[in-house]
Amino acid sequence: MTQLLVDEAAAPVRAPRRGSSWLRYIGLKAGGAAVSLVMVVMLGFFAFRILPGDPVRSLADGRQVTAEQMDILRRQYGLDQPMLVQFWRYLTDLFQGKLGESYTYNRPVMELILDRIGPTLLLTGTAALLSVVLGLWLGQRAAWRRGSAFDKAQTGIALVFWSVPTFWLGLLLLLIFGGGLRWFPTGGMVTAGSTETGLPLIWDVARHLVLPVLTLVAVVYAQYLMVMRASLLEEMTSAYLVTARAKGLREDDVRRGHAVPNALLPTVTLIFLTLGGLVGGAVTVETVFSWPGLGYLTFQALSAPDYPLLQGTFVVFSAIVVVMNFFADVMYRVLDPRLRTA
Amino acid sequence: MTAQRKVAAGLLAGIVVLAPGALASPAIAATTPAEAPAGTTLKLALTADIDSLNPFKAILASSTSILALQYQNLVAYGSENNAEVPGMAESWKTSDDGTVWTFHLPADREWSDGEPITAQDAEWTFQAIQNNDELKQANGALLTSVEKVEATDDETLVMTLAEPQAPNPGTQLPIMPEHVWSQVDDPAAFMNDTDAVGSGPFTVVNYDKTAGVTMKANPNFWQGEAKISGITFAPYKNSDAAVQALKTGELDVVNGLTPAQFQALENEPGITTNAGTGRRYQAIAINPGTETADGTAMGDGNAALHDVELRRAIAMAIDSATLLEKVMQGLGEEATGEVPAAYPVYQMDDTDLSLAYDPEAANALLDTAGYPMGADGLRVDKNGTPLELRLMGRNTDPIHQQMADYVKPWLKVIGIDVSTVMKASAQVNDDSVLGNYDLYFTGWGMGPDPDFQLSMNQCSSRPNADGTGATSENNFCSADFDALFLEQHSELDQDTRSELVNDAQQMIYDAAVNKVLYYANALEAYRSDRFEPFTTQPAQGGVITGQNGPWGYYSATPVGLASTGSESDAGGNPFVVGVPIALAVIIGAGAFLFIRRRRSTADERA
Repeated sequence: MTQLLVDEAAAPVRAPRRGSSWLRYIGLKAGGAAVSLVMVVMLGFFAFRILPGDPVRSLADGRQVTAEQMDILRRQYGLDQPMLVQFWRYLTDLFQGKLGESYTYNRPVMELILDRIGPTLLLTGTAALLSVVLGLWLGQRAAWRRGSAFDKAQTGIALVFWSVPTFWLGLLLLLIFGGGLRWFPTGGMVTAGSTETGLPLIWDVARHLVLPVLTLVAVVYAQYLMVMRASLLEEMTSAYLVTARAKGLREDDVRRGHAVPNALLPTVTLIFLTLGGLVGGAVTVETVFSWPGLGYLTFQALSAPDYPLLQGTFVVFSAIVVVMNFFADVMYRVLDPRLRTA
Repeated sequence: MTAQRKVAAGLLAGIVVLAPGALASPAIAATTPAEAPAGTTLKLALTADIDSLNPFKAILASSTSILALQYQNLVAYGSENNAEVPGMAESWKTSDDGTVWTFHLPADREWSDGEPITAQDAEWTFQAIQNNDELKQANGALLTSVEKVEATDDETLVMTLAEPQAPNPGTQLPIMPEHVWSQVDDPAAFMNDTDAVGSGPFTVVNYDKTAGVTMKANPNFWQGEAKISGITFAPYKNSDAAVQALKTGELDVVNGLTPAQFQALENEPGITTNAGTGRRYQAIAINPGTETADGTAMGDGNAALHDVELRRAIAMAIDSATLLEKVMQGLGEEATGEVPAAYPVYQMDDTDLSLAYDPEAANALLDTAGYPMGADGLRVDKNGTPLELRLMGRNTDPIHQQMADYVKPWLKVIGIDVSTVMKASAQVNDDSVLGNYDLYFTGWGMGPDPDFQLSMNQCSSRPNADGTGATSENNFCSADFDALFLEQHSELDQDTRSELVNDAQQMIYDAAVNKVLYYANALEAYRSDRFEPFTTQPAQGGVITGQNGPWGYYSATPVGLASTGSESDAGGNPFVVGVPIALAVIIGAGAFLFIRRRRSTADERA
């Protein structure tokens, strides 16, 4: 779903006409983002109501629960109200910054999400940073020496990892480095029952972070590599490089000072687009490595179905994607001088 | 600054800002250090999320199993054979008509914080649920039959029921300490996840989403303090990872293993496996014609299945022994009726298993019942339509697809064409309640008293037209069964009640609405080099985890308190990890510098 939103939101005019003012540009983009958000809010309510499953019955699943008890629960959750009344409540709550209360956890959805968004951001943020750096660096080197053994090996390896199922790769790393060699823990974010604080805690988390980050990086860095490589290849035939070389610049300086900055433009957009999706995208890795993030929360919400929790995670995930898209648009203009002549 | 560096710096800044937020979990900092020496804490996997540690609210099994260690009920189920034994109450008696139950609580017992346990605690707990709808979420059903609960003095609790009942009302409700809970503004919102006060062998010290649940032994537990200092439940969302953690010593006990995982662990040094008697039956439900509570037909089940002879023939065509052998690697027991072998007092006897696997007899039955076999090897129903049935399973349970691959050809042998469809769990729940199925895989886990399971087969347990209302096991309805249910419900003589329960199960069996296949074993493994054999329930061939009571964990005994060997195996030594990382960093940095320093000119370009 988030992927779909990326495409929709990314579709509007990427490169505005020369001379359009900053204000007008940002206004246009912010307006687009706002419209996307409203759509998300609407969709968030109705889409999940189509899902099969009766939340109250699934709460009662396998337990001794009377029909009266289930009626009480339906009343408590407002499920006995007509759909439109429920929708109105959802909207008014949302405008007060409330995402409702989870059926499963009996706690405000906002609290549940805030509890778990930290670990997810730590995992995906670290992985994003590493894969961007690795991908861009390998990508521009591969392009510069296109057709070489280095190029073939790097693109080959990256594409193999890109095609490998995340779940499988994660389990493999876990079996080898967790269970077999015992270099790293087999799951979680901290050692269970640990009472450490300060540096020992950071060390503990860092050890738990290695395998999941490695898995995520291995799977996603290829996209940065390929885009960087492709855009640098386009630049390499440009006349300005001939000029740069004619000035007597070293080959590395030609690459770093002239070719790469120009090639970065499409790549930066891609980075921001993928950053938005990252928050929701680590579900598999979180499951394999028992990472206490948003992934499992979403899974739990889907299996109920826990409408407020589903709506909450959906709205938050989508909002992040929309905002990141907006930033990507703004960023693009900052980076490309041709677009801000006004 | 180049654009590249701007981006990198921005990202780095983002991480630096976010990281402390993720790390600085206040609950971790608040945890008090454990006093007992390391190695005496039993470490278990927490394989599902905790919904709540508030016993009025907690529903998920992961939460209720933890709370079962913390709160006792008035009456417990013993480890020997699941019989009723003293819990919070030392003794109890029932009035002759079965409506007044009097429980005696001994004077000298204390909560984990040293306050005395009294009958007022029990009275407060019952009344809290009775008077507040929000507190009914977890245990409200138990009170539908209770009219009045009264502590006549500190040691005596009198429970008056609306009608006589045989199941002991003291077995189900965990009792809360009044002196703690009456001070709470809103008991429904009370998290109860830090330094909890309880009566069971262990109490929760702390719950944290990242670090799991830590419990410590209750020094005031009336049967004596546990031999281990506490229990840690570590979050593991993935059973393969939990198996690895057991091997590395990060966990001491894992359960819920698949047969493949179980067999892989059988020969591991220092690990002992245990296939305990399961409390769950696995079955195939056969739609007898679904109806609402008021008898209106609903659902899209094949009408031919309204005929009991056809349902019986289907049941006879399914070979449960083979399913048990092939799908569960033989780790389980073949079934008779719905009550699993773990509860021998109520398990259906095997004197009349007329629906045992016998394809020839099934074919003969269909021949005489009027389902002629066509030239294509398929039978037609009484309207001349070919017999085609759908078999539904859950796509979250790989065993369903495996079993379906066996069942399909077996039913072909008796001339029935079966198409299988695996659906999302929630969809299966919807379809089964509304009767939108012909056959589907089902199963129930059961407590020691069969009353609730049988109650779901009453006519009144059928749902409303929109799927709301009561829960029915198989939409079964029979006036004879309802009478039998009520009779066992109030029969206080154990032998007579066992016979009635047996007859009730036989009635469901004969109606062929629920072909019970087997009772799968509960597959567990533990570090026997760190903890001695545990008390299982029942004593012979029972389970350690998932008991009806705390006995498995309570009985855990460390093997020699000095053993520290497996501690360092868990990766606690920074050098084991640090050296490879440092090497990698140095090599990486060297390579980077080497490449940077290379002075290439335009002439070198390929």
